[in-house]
Formats: sequence, structure tokens, C-alpha cells
Amino acid sequence: MLGQVLATELLKLRRSRITWISWLAFSVMPLAGGLFMWIAKEPGRAARLGLMGQKARIAGLTADWASYFALLNQEACVGGMVLLSIIAVYVFGREFADGTAKNMLSQPVGRHWFAVAKLVVVLAWFALLTVSLVGEGLLVGALLDLPGFSAPLAVSSIGDILFSGLVGFLLVPVVAWIATLGRGYLPPIGFTIFMLVLGNVFGATGWGKWFPWSIIPMLAGMAGPGVEVLAPGSLVVVGLTFAAGVAATIWQLRWADNTQ
Amino acid sequence: MPPETVISTQGVSKHYREVRAVDGLDLDVRRGEIYGFLGRNGAGKTTTIRMLLGLVRPTSGRVTVLGRHVRPGDQGVLSRVGSLVETASAYPNLTVRENLDIQRRLTGSPREAIAEAVALLRLEEYADRRAGRLSLGNKQRLSLARALLHRPEVLVLDEPANALDPAGIVEIRGLLRRLATERGVTVFMSSHILAEVAHLADRIGIVHAGRLIEELELEALRAAARSHVEVTVSNPDRAVALLAEKMGISRVSRTAEGGLRVFEGLERIAEIARVLVGDGLELTRLCASEEDLEAHFMRLTGGA
Repeated sequence: MLGQVLATELLKLRRSRITWISWLAFSVMPLAGGLFMWIAKEPGRAARLGLMGQKARIAGLTADWASYFALLNQEACVGGMVLLSIIAVYVFGREFADGTAKNMLSQPVGRHWFAVAKLVVVLAWFALLTVSLVGEGLLVGALLDLPGFSAPLAVSSIGDILFSGLVGFLLVPVVAWIATLGRGYLPPIGFTIFMLVLGNVFGATGWGKWFPWSIIPMLAGMAGPGVEVLAPGSLVVVGLTFAAGVAATIWQLRWADNTQ
Repeated sequence: MPPETVISTQGVSKHYREVRAVDGLDLDVRRGEIYGFLGRNGAGKTTTIRMLLGLVRPTSGRVTVLGRHVRPGDQGVLSRVGSLVETASAYPNLTVRENLDIQRRLTGSPREAIAEAVALLRLEEYADRRAGRLSLGNKQRLSLARALLHRPEVLVLDEPANALDPAGIVEIRGLLRRLATERGVTVFMSSHILAEVAHLADRIGIVHAGRLIEELELEALRAAARSHVEVTVSNPDRAVALLAEKMGISRVSRTAEGGLRVFEGLERIAEIARVLVGDGLELTRLCASEEDLEAHFMRLTGGA
């Protein structure tokens, strides 16, 4: 049954502008990282760029593959958290915004399959975007002729980016639940913004390692070397958040009244 | 052998805090009949339909469709039910055919079912048009096509004539009638328009404030509508006196236009004419009339 439902969920994406918009948004990130690297590589030209050049020096960037991969990881992580939420809001919230939830929920199919299939779609969608980002990043880095490339560094860094993306995905079910609970786009978008703000607050107060929306940026090294600033239980917190989100979304679709 | 009950609600209520959307509803819909569920806006029709489809959980009571207890999340019986709830809806970025393909896949129907549903609702011209670019009427047709695609035994339709033009209404009426007579499909349809239900339903349930206040065969409804004779005459006062004196008719009322309504002796309409004309009155209008079904409905639901 999952295969059938998954096929319909993929069909629903046909001609969706959001697929291209999300790809465009994600493809800007390696370019932005490349611009920083170029500025760091050419400080003389960077100075002529004014504020941008100054910012690049403040960030203390060095123009090499290790820095570029680290930058890509951070961009993919923070940008990915926002983008993942937008994708999840679209995939789950559109049923309510388009008024099709009542049709979906009156199908002779276990309602949990819709939740599972939609999560698989979000994961696959984001995986494609991340692979695209990595490919584009490699191309941009090669064009800039950055020094310090090695196969082990590339494998390790790409692994870090994919891992950050995967951990970021674990927060998606909570957003999906808010979209089904709030029946549309606005509540989950508001929730995501609120969580990102809270993530900053928890990160600044030292409790970030226990707050899911702080853990992901920390994992990407935004507060220093990722794994060291996290507690051993941090990933467990994210895992529990995922499990709670999945259970809540399935419960909402399966049991809650649909009065849309 | 009594006809099989296909849809049954027993003491079904749905309360949203202090609001009683549906209140102790008992319904029985027989196999192959077209049941018109009539009520004004906010009477509880859509909530009832949502409970029939397991979209909403009753606060109390039991809903049974095709012999199975309907509960949210228990989807088994829905493979034999086609539905249209409230407004027509579809994925706007997908074509008519693609929207129907979603329904086909989820109901395990054969590929030919799409073409059949498209033809049944006369959507051939629009089959490859995106749903977001359809007129409201064609969106409604698409929703009906979706409901019919998997050849359900039971159709639960909420205001099926919404947004259709008069020709479309007649066409859908004919389609539903054919489905009931030729395929034995049971149709449960809600409407707030009596004329629509009166043209199609075999039986009508009138719901008001969440309660079923009258349930009757269409013919019984017609009989329940009070009959009278409309009289327009040159001297109404004299006519009233003549009817009482020569025919013993006393239940006569005056209309705002100066005419008379005679509520008894309806079978003696020719005699009424003879008495009035025989006395030299100028009779310009004399016709047997029934209270409009609409007026009957309004009287029942407190709208008139």
C-alpha cells in the first residue's frame, strides 16, 4: 500500500513551482560560499568590494577546500532547516489549503500511509537538493581552484553535510504535525520561525545541546567543532523529537475530526 | 423481505462544545434509493455527511454504512463509497486526468476507469486541463467524477448541484437517477434547495437544528402540502357570502392582491364556478393550487 500512496504523493508534485523554487534557493548557497572563498582568496579585490570584503575578513575565512566544505555544511544545515520546513509545510499543508484533505482522508487507505508517504517524499526531495548542493559545491570549488583538496577530506566533509541534512530531517515530523493541526501553511511557518528564534536563544544561553532546533546548527559547527559542543544525549533528543512528531502526525490524521 | 438498509444512524449526535451540530439523528437509507437530506444552511447536513465518511467522530450514537460501523481511521468500507463533501476540490497543478489518476490508484481501480469517469461527467474537453484553470461548474464535475470513478455502491454527496448551470443540474440529476435504477447505487444527497431534492429523491428527510423533523416519501410530501382554490372575482365580499350560503364553505382567506383562497370543497371546483357566475359575478380566475413545496419546507423549518 505504501507504494501506491507514494506514487500518488509524487504525482501531486507534478508542475509544482515549489520544487523549482526550493532547488533555486538551495543552489544559491554554494555560489554564496564560493563568493566568500573568492573574497578570502583575493583580499585586494575584496577590499574594493567594501563591506562585503570587510565581513569576509571578520569571519576569518581561509580560502581552501576545508573551509569551503565547512561553510557548505553550515549553509546546508541552517538553510536546510528552513527549506525542509517549507517543503514539509507544502507537502502536508497543501491538502488543507487546497481543500483536498477531506478527499484524502475518505480514501479506503490507512491514513497513516499518507503520513509515512509524505515524510518519504520530503526526505527524498531534500536528499536530491543536498546531492545537488554537493555537486554544485564541488564544481564551484574546482572553478575557484581552491587549494587543499583530498579525497578523504571530500568524503568526510560530504558525509558531514549529508549527516547534518539527515538529522535536520528528523525535525520535519513536528512541522508536519503543526501543518495538519493548523490545517494550512501559516501555523507551521510561524512555528518554524519561532523555533529558529528559540534555537538561537537556547544556543546563546548554553542549553542548546538539549534543544532540537539548536542542536542542528551546533552539529554543523556553528558554535565550534560540532560533536564536541553537543552532549552525548543531544542526538537522542532529536531522535525522540522525530518519534514524537511522527506519532502526533499519524494521530492527527487518523483520529482528529476533519472539519475543514 | 424488507429492503436492505445501507446507511443507518442511531441516535447520532455531534456537539462542538455548546453547539449541537447534530442532535440524536436516526436515519435509515435503503439500498438503491435516492435519499434527499434537506435542510437550511447550518442544519447539520455536512456534519452528518462527515460522520458517514468517518471524517468526524460522533459525540454519541452509531453510524453504520453497508453493515460496518464507521469510525475515523477505519477506512475499510470506503472502497464501496463515493463521496463529495462540501465544496469541490482538486489539486490545482494537476490535470483532470491526473486528479482522477490519484483516485484510481488509491481505490485500486483499472486504468479504463478514468476514461469512463471523464465520459460520464462529460469532461473530455477538459481532461488535460489543469484543475486550477477549470470553471467552478467543471470543478464540481471533476469532484463528481472522482466520487464515481471506482463504481461505488453508495454515493454520499453534499450539495451535488453546487455551481452547476441549469443544464448541468438536469444532466447530473439524470445521471444519478440512472445510477440508482441501472446499477442499484444508493444515493444519499444533501441539499438546501427543495426543488433539487424534489426532482430526484425517492425519500426526503428534513433536518433542522441538527434534528430530523420530518421524513417522508416524495409523494407523501406532495400530499402534505395543503391544497386550495385560487379565486379572482369582481366582488370578493359577495363571493365569500355566496360560498358560505350556497355551498357551506367557510374556510376562505383573502390574498394581498384582492383574490380569495378557498381551502375546502376542492373537489367541487366546477360548482364554485357555477355559483359565482350564476349570481352575476365576473370570474376572472379560478384554479386549483398546491402550497409550494418550498413554502411547506419553510413552514417546517420555521423560515416563513
